[in-house]
Amino acid sequence: MDKPTDNLDYLDKADNLKTIETANENPSFFEHRGNRKNILVVFNFVLLAIGSLLILSPLWWMFATSLKTMAEVMSFPPSFWPEDWLFSNYIKTWEAAPFTRYTINTLTITILVVIGNVLSNSFIAYGFAKIPFRGKNILFAIVLATMMIPGFVTLIPQYVLFANLGWVNTYYPLIVPAFFGSAFNIFLLRQFYMTIPTELIEAAKMEGANHFYIWWKIGLPLTKPAIATVAIFSFNGAWNDFLGPLLYLNDENLYTLQIGLQVFKGQLSTQWNYLMAGSLLVLLPVILIFFFFQKYFIQGINLQSGGK
Amino acid sequence: MNKLKVFIILIAGLALILSGCSGFQTNNSGGDEAAVNEDGKTVVDFWTFWGSEIRRPIIEQIITDFNESQDEIEVKHTYLPFGDIWTKELAAIAAGDPPDVVINDINATALRGQKKQAMNLSKFLEEDDISKRFYPELWDATLYEGDSYGIPFNTDTRVLFYNKDAFKEAGLDPEKPPTTWAELEEYAAKLDKKAGSNYDRVGFYPLWGIGYDVWLLNANGQSYFDDQDNFEVDTAKNEEVLNWLKSWKDKYGEDVVNSYQAQIDSQQGHPFFTGDLAMIAQAPTFYTQIRDYAPDLNFGVIELPEYEEGNGNTSWGGGFVAEIPEGSKNSEAAWEFIKYLTDVEAQEYWAVKNFDNVANIEAAEAAAKSDEFTEDGTMVYEKAVENMEHTLLTPVPVIAPDFTSLINPNIDEFLLGSMTAKEALAKSQADVENLIEKNK
Amino acid sequence: MGKKRLTMRRKESIYGYIFVLPWIIGFLAFTAGPLVFSFVASFTNYNITSQMDFVGAENYQGLFTEDSLFWTSLWNTLYFVIFSVPLTTIGAIFLSALLNQDIPGMRVFRTLYYLPAVLSGVGVYMLWMQLLDPGTGMVNLVLSWFGIDGPNWLFDPDWTKPSIIFMKLWSVGGSMLLYLASMQGVSKSLYEAAEIDGANTWKKFFHITIPMITPVIFFDVVTSLIGGFQIFQEAYVMSNNGEGGPANSLLFYNLYMWKQAFTNFNMGYAMAMSWILFVIVFILTIFNLKLAPRWVHYEGEEK
Repeated sequence: MDKPTDNLDYLDKADNLKTIETANENPSFFEHRGNRKNILVVFNFVLLAIGSLLILSPLWWMFATSLKTMAEVMSFPPSFWPEDWLFSNYIKTWEAAPFTRYTINTLTITILVVIGNVLSNSFIAYGFAKIPFRGKNILFAIVLATMMIPGFVTLIPQYVLFANLGWVNTYYPLIVPAFFGSAFNIFLLRQFYMTIPTELIEAAKMEGANHFYIWWKIGLPLTKPAIATVAIFSFNGAWNDFLGPLLYLNDENLYTLQIGLQVFKGQLSTQWNYLMAGSLLVLLPVILIFFFFQKYFIQGINLQSGGK
Repeated sequence: MNKLKVFIILIAGLALILSGCSGFQTNNSGGDEAAVNEDGKTVVDFWTFWGSEIRRPIIEQIITDFNESQDEIEVKHTYLPFGDIWTKELAAIAAGDPPDVVINDINATALRGQKKQAMNLSKFLEEDDISKRFYPELWDATLYEGDSYGIPFNTDTRVLFYNKDAFKEAGLDPEKPPTTWAELEEYAAKLDKKAGSNYDRVGFYPLWGIGYDVWLLNANGQSYFDDQDNFEVDTAKNEEVLNWLKSWKDKYGEDVVNSYQAQIDSQQGHPFFTGDLAMIAQAPTFYTQIRDYAPDLNFGVIELPEYEEGNGNTSWGGGFVAEIPEGSKNSEAAWEFIKYLTDVEAQEYWAVKNFDNVANIEAAEAAAKSDEFTEDGTMVYEKAVENMEHTLLTPVPVIAPDFTSLINPNIDEFLLGSMTAKEALAKSQADVENLIEKNK
Repeated sequence: MGKKRLTMRRKESIYGYIFVLPWIIGFLAFTAGPLVFSFVASFTNYNITSQMDFVGAENYQGLFTEDSLFWTSLWNTLYFVIFSVPLTTIGAIFLSALLNQDIPGMRVFRTLYYLPAVLSGVGVYMLWMQLLDPGTGMVNLVLSWFGIDGPNWLFDPDWTKPSIIFMKLWSVGGSMLLYLASMQGVSKSLYEAAEIDGANTWKKFFHITIPMITPVIFFDVVTSLIGGFQIFQEAYVMSNNGEGGPANSLLFYNLYMWKQAFTNFNMGYAMAMSWILFVIVFILTIFNLKLAPRWVHYEGEEK
């Protein structure tokens, strides 16, 4: 990437823009002054807390189930509070299949998919949003159209394609496509790029910057929250993907967590306690990532302007 | 920005380290030659959906035994989740690189034969005819135009479980369970324990555990299709059976029926274990759940009651076959393994360890005498083996594989009260005939 | 001058192509082939393994004229889309507005509300079957506290689709994420200016927040419309044996297509179904795209 060394005015402009837009810590449409504001905060807090209970109660049920014996799971009526808290279920779950191996495998795939998605989609979306070129609308329509064909009907031909490449029983079919963009993410990022003022880009061009540089120096930073969203979505998608690994992996040493979880689901009966324990364990990294990653998109822009 | 760069570089570094693992080594071992391992043994790729901590060790023991019993073939087992395993099998067949043996649904074997997904096994059977090992009903289900496309592995049937203590409490003789539909009704009425609009105990409800189709089969002694592929569902007898089923629903009421049904569907908490339900029709393997989750339950088991005396206790069953997918490169070796898998020794081992009905008659009868079972276990297993005599399979007709999806909604409508039995049957008859016509 | 502008435009075009090139390569390499194949095969009796003979428009004709389940499944899917898309969109906007504030414990709240979107797989659907149990389920229990006699949910054909929609609302946390990211970009100065004019909270919400996040609302509507038409797994797990019952009330389009493709092996027929769905969704999306300029506001738009 060749960097124009002389005039960096437009970068300052970009920074000014960021500062103007997000000078506060947390823009809020509910924000009011004085007492009314406090009342509103309390009201919202209570509302959110009640909502959380509704959201959490099914999860509590999962958690409670994960600690029960199967005999207790099968008893009726279902108990809300486990008799004995069998945390040992979690150990048994982990040992029921090579889950450590599966975790490493899943992590490998997921990390590469996230990198691929973040890099490729923001690059492609910038082209669709900010550069005029002939045939753009038709191409974009095709991008959207790829989302509209149900995956089932392309499943077999796609498998045959990857088989001919010799990619069956490798991670390539799961990872490589991520580096070429996906319709959902391209569309999402395009929507965010569209909100960047064209004048900003024009100004940068006037001062000799090319589009690569503008994308890297203006596009990426200004769409950081959206990129974080794409990262989180693709992390989720790859982490929870079941059909992809199932189809393409033959060697059990390459299996992922979602396939591993299936061992608790028998043909006749399901080991609910282990299945729930396993599901919660698998969920944990995703929650942690979200919890810590939040700040990147919640305060992303602020950090940006301050961190110069 | 710098943070982001550092982050990306770190992650990329990590990824590179991880990428040393085997998930990134492509192999073009496809080819047309049989797969051979470093010892010069032919490798048979074997896919099953038996991954649970109960079943997996058992199938792997059988495989180990087989591998050690000879020195030319090495069977490699791969577990794949139930249901999805066959999607994957299909994709692999389409790509021309399928596994060598797959466990698949027995009832659709003929269909897979017709579509050339499963290999025609007659060339192997001509050399060693093992068809006599199995229950004839199971064997027939594997045939398409007279040729077999899969070898029966295991099976099941439907029997009636009943709670002996509840019988005693209701003044019934626990050694004389109901044998006809009329008795079933009579007993159920005595076993019912009503509490207001609700029930403390429900005597029996025919559609928990099995479907209406099993009752039709039980009453008619045969399935919808005759030998000539003629389809008949719209009969006076069927109408009567449906109305009989509905009368149960009317008796207990929508709320009771749904609430119990939901409980049974959720696979968690079963009213039969808690004594809230006195009788239920189930597959014999239901016993393993009683054993594990309600060990103190005092229960008995009997064949499904007959429509009327002398009508026969016809029951329904399914099961699985071991098949060789079309395009397998090691079919000879695969066949050797299938022979072993369905022979007495392996079958008896599977039957005893899993408490599962097996397809091999000799093995099934030997297992019934196994001293590894408890008294209850032996009782159930013996009944299961005995019940195979009047158990019918319902192989999907190649002419209209999905015909049940045209009948089921009509029966649903009938049971919900928005159609009469006659209307539901007439519509089903017409819909299925249309489908057959269309597929011809 | 004219010539110079032309080269400028051409240069821009080249940049444009370079930027979208990765997608074009990926599309041609991985997607285009299977798509074309499925289109061609939709005019055949393709069954994956043994036959692929040209049958003309027979599949399409059969779907429209002889297949009542096709219409049932299409109607079920439309019903689902018509209710779920607006409800989840409004739900997600409302939720993210609540979560876009300075309130103690906000990070925890956001994580909690996002949780259901992360949970996936069969376990969750089984969990909902338990919750929606008409007799002992939690949902009807809560309703009974308010004196409401809850419906039979998954057992009553009139309530099965609302059950699924209800379940979808539980997990709006996914699109909440999009709205949160977008609301972060709304300039604070706009709110301040409005406050000086004496606008109240609601006014600010409807006159500033909503217009400023329309690009993302547009995105959400388009993608959830496309996704809504593809609903499958919920019905596959939550109806008995994946049949789509009771009374075919959960036989969604993709479920029916799945059955045709993978249990009856009528792959050609299923492919024809997919292209019909494609046309429907494509028309709706084009409609959306054409309508967009009337209500979607891009801050950076060229005027």
